[in-house]
Amino acid sequence: MAFVQNFPFMSIILSLFSGPISSVLSGKKAKWLNMAVITVIGCMSGAVLAYVLGTGESYVYTMGHFSAPWGNEIRVGVLEAAMALFFCVIMLLSMLGGARERLLEIEESKQNLYYIMVNLLLCSLLALIYTNDLFTAYVFVEINTISACGLIMIRQNGRTIEAATRYMIMSLLGSGLLLLGICFLYDLTGHLLMSNIKEQVALLHQSGEYHIPLLVSVGLMSVGLAIKSALYPFHTWLPDAYGYSTLSSAAILSSLVSKGYIFLLVKIFYRVIGFDIVRDSKVVNVLFVFGLAGMILGSVSAIREGNIRRMIAFSSVAQIGYIYMGFGLGTVSGMIASIYHVVSHAATKSLLFVSASGITDVSGDSTDFFDLTGAGYRNKLAGVAFTVGSLAMVGFPMFSGFISKLLFAQAAVESVNKMLPTLIALAISTILNAVYFMKTVIRLYTPEKKAALEKKNFHSIKMWDQPSKSIALICFIALNILLGLSSDPVVSLIRSGLKMFT
Amino acid sequence: MNTWILLPIFLPIAVGIGLLFSSFRMHLKMTGEGAAPAAENTNLIHGIAGAVLGISAAAALVCAWTGEKSVILFYLMKDVPIYFHIDKTGSLFVTVMSLVWLAVCIYAFVYMKHEGEEARFFGFYLVVYGVLVALDFSGNLVTLYFFYELMTLSSMPLVLHNGSREAIMAALKYLFYSMCGAYLGLFAIFFLYRYCDTLAFTAGGSLNQALIQGNEGIVRIAVLAMVVGFGAKAGMFPLHAWLPAAHPVAPTPASAALSGIIVKCGVLAIIRGVYYVVGAEFVRGTWVQTVWMTISLLTVFMGSMLAYREPVLKKRLAYSTVSQVSYILFGLSVLSPTGMAGALLHTVFHAFIKAALFMTAGIFLFRKGKSRVDDYVGIGKEMPVTLWCYTFASLALVGIPPTSGFISKWYLAQGALQGDIGVFRYVGPAVLLVSALLTAGYLLPVTMKGFLPGKDRSVHTGKETIDRMTVMLVIMALAAVVLGIFPNPLVGYTSEIAASLM
Repeated sequence: MAFVQNFPFMSIILSLFSGPISSVLSGKKAKWLNMAVITVIGCMSGAVLAYVLGTGESYVYTMGHFSAPWGNEIRVGVLEAAMALFFCVIMLLSMLGGARERLLEIEESKQNLYYIMVNLLLCSLLALIYTNDLFTAYVFVEINTISACGLIMIRQNGRTIEAATRYMIMSLLGSGLLLLGICFLYDLTGHLLMSNIKEQVALLHQSGEYHIPLLVSVGLMSVGLAIKSALYPFHTWLPDAYGYSTLSSAAILSSLVSKGYIFLLVKIFYRVIGFDIVRDSKVVNVLFVFGLAGMILGSVSAIREGNIRRMIAFSSVAQIGYIYMGFGLGTVSGMIASIYHVVSHAATKSLLFVSASGITDVSGDSTDFFDLTGAGYRNKLAGVAFTVGSLAMVGFPMFSGFISKLLFAQAAVESVNKMLPTLIALAISTILNAVYFMKTVIRLYTPEKKAALEKKNFHSIKMWDQPSKSIALICFIALNILLGLSSDPVVSLIRSGLKMFT
Repeated sequence: MNTWILLPIFLPIAVGIGLLFSSFRMHLKMTGEGAAPAAENTNLIHGIAGAVLGISAAAALVCAWTGEKSVILFYLMKDVPIYFHIDKTGSLFVTVMSLVWLAVCIYAFVYMKHEGEEARFFGFYLVVYGVLVALDFSGNLVTLYFFYELMTLSSMPLVLHNGSREAIMAALKYLFYSMCGAYLGLFAIFFLYRYCDTLAFTAGGSLNQALIQGNEGIVRIAVLAMVVGFGAKAGMFPLHAWLPAAHPVAPTPASAALSGIIVKCGVLAIIRGVYYVVGAEFVRGTWVQTVWMTISLLTVFMGSMLAYREPVLKKRLAYSTVSQVSYILFGLSVLSPTGMAGALLHTVFHAFIKAALFMTAGIFLFRKGKSRVDDYVGIGKEMPVTLWCYTFASLALVGIPPTSGFISKWYLAQGALQGDIGVFRYVGPAVLLVSALLTAGYLLPVTMKGFLPGKDRSVHTGKETIDRMTVMLVIMALAAVVLGIFPNPLVGYTSEIAASLM
């Protein structure tokens, strides 16, 4: 066994133990530890990715060499390693971008608590990505929820407490449903290990026995994870949670936490139930319908919103709708499009959150739409970054969003029945996106009168005033353009990763 | 040698972006602490803009007239390259666009003095030129779409130049109509990607007959979506409303460029889509053709009527563009070689004529500061040269021999009469004639009132100032007349293109 094969396990353990260590460190040291941990894990994931690409097949890692039903297993393929690497990159950049806000908004004595939560969050995300055991996945889903709540609540103004409570309730409902689904499945198959369950489910499906319970269990797990990742009718917790928490929390929550659940759902579809069975069950159609509804209604809510942070949050609802719509198509190309959108949305949404904070910084910390007039001139880099993010969201050629829309449409054209609704919803949603993002961009570049500037006491920020945020923004912009101009490597990575899943 | 194609595309874009940066820095200085607004070095800006535009236009023309060339820039996705290819249609369009763009640029050197912000204006003006050349040279549908969107985005700031609320709303309207249109076009591209052998332009189209079997209906819907969508840019009903909103608020050079050139991009996109990807055969005799002819004729008539009722000269000219560009679209919709030749001829002539008309409107506005037609009574005594140019351009637009408009309208009517299009064979020419009468009705009163103000008006007589604006106007008006007297080379060239497509 190559030494690299230990890395996934080591990265989970590393992030898990860096949590408790942070509790005895001061805020500043905890921050450096956290940065270092994320960087190291990112490098290890890169090494794992290179290894798996080299061998061309996935491997199973048994913890402590206890074999399957007794021990716990980790399974590593191309997609897992790539996701882990990507999550680390986004997390590192989000933490960099929000460093200043954390200092300002979090009490001195609670600084290190924040890093505990982030480390635990990273640990649970990695575990969700790598684990081969359904119950372990459930445990880490819970850890993820708790740490996400902490991230929301740590900035103490009344709204975040309310938001965190809401998030807690909805999230626990979701994980409750997931747990019920897992229980059903355990009852039906007698296994908790993903590969074993899949064998049994295939047998059950062939014999035609327990058809309804199987369907119920798939439905419960899908709905549970859909609630947790804010699919349309269950999105009510999202705008407040993203809108009022501290910057790095909002960026991490929107681009990583919900994506972790979505990735788990992909794994459940492919590795636990089997994609053919999921497709034959009507669950995907339900996801499809809610996805379409989310794409349109999320954008409509965003148009009505006058607060820029909440507007970006509502746009997440629409984007999550895209992802579920891709699942709902029930084809491999739909799946590939969805996973690509997971990547592109994560890159874009965190960019938008960070740049929006740069914009509100020069507008007297007001998130109100009308105070943002001319902010693009007061903070150049943030203005450019917000424009890039907006164009990517709208699906402008050259940026990442265009490729994911192209992939969605190609996938849609393949399926006869769902083609028209998908394409029409894509068109409507794109135009709605254009309405609110372009409105904001134009507002940013409408010159504000000098008198008004002086009255409101707005100042401008230069690029080198906030080095860490600037670095984060530049990296995010580069990432978006890279994803938009040469998508082919990423798509082929996803394709080969999905192949390894089966 | 082939890579020379990239010079006229990327040189103006790069220099334009440089100018934009310099304008951006000026803005920062102005909004900075107490610094006096520095005056722009307009001579330098003019020098740079003129030189770069001259070099690029020369390069573009050399590329266009030295045989077919192609170059692949990079691969956007697997088997979707960004690919440039020069063919006869592209050469024709790029020639017209370069000449008019250059003339309008020289005109703008004088005109933009009273609009200010010249670095920004000429920056975007150069960028749009590069994008236009790329659009003309694009070799497949995705490349075309890519630059079509970039063109919309980069030309929008020309409209909102003066930054007033009205201008911003008009620019937003322009953006939304164009984006709605572009996404309708994209919708069609998704289908064509599946049903065509290649998206690269091939004369006569590249539909895969085996795949198309049984799916004709849906592909026809896609073709109609493409025509209507790209028709938005060409001001075709029902997406025409942006034109009359955008023109009055935009600086006159921008109006001239929009009306003369940018609307033609819609025409080019339709030609590329219908004749080079789908193929005329697939559309001929179907309901798509009927709908297309109906809406284009409707637009011809409606545009003329609206222009007839409009008191503001620039807005009247905008409605006139709506009407005249639909002449071109009608010529394309007939799907006969003669009609196609007429459409291409009218594309060329209308570019010169409409540039001349807008230049006149601009000179009136520049010298008198008044925009309504009623204010121009007796203006012929003050500015005879300008008004004579206006008169010749008007006569050309009405289609009175020996001016150029006569030639193109002759071919359009011939095409309709020869075509196998049922009742439209008679309705088409009739509508064109009625609209020509209306054109005379809305353009010529300005001349008549201008030269013959009546006795009771005291007329100010002074020497007319002749500057570069007037010179450019004379050149454009001369082109509009002379091309009608010696039309043979152009007629031969366009007929050749038309014959190769059908």
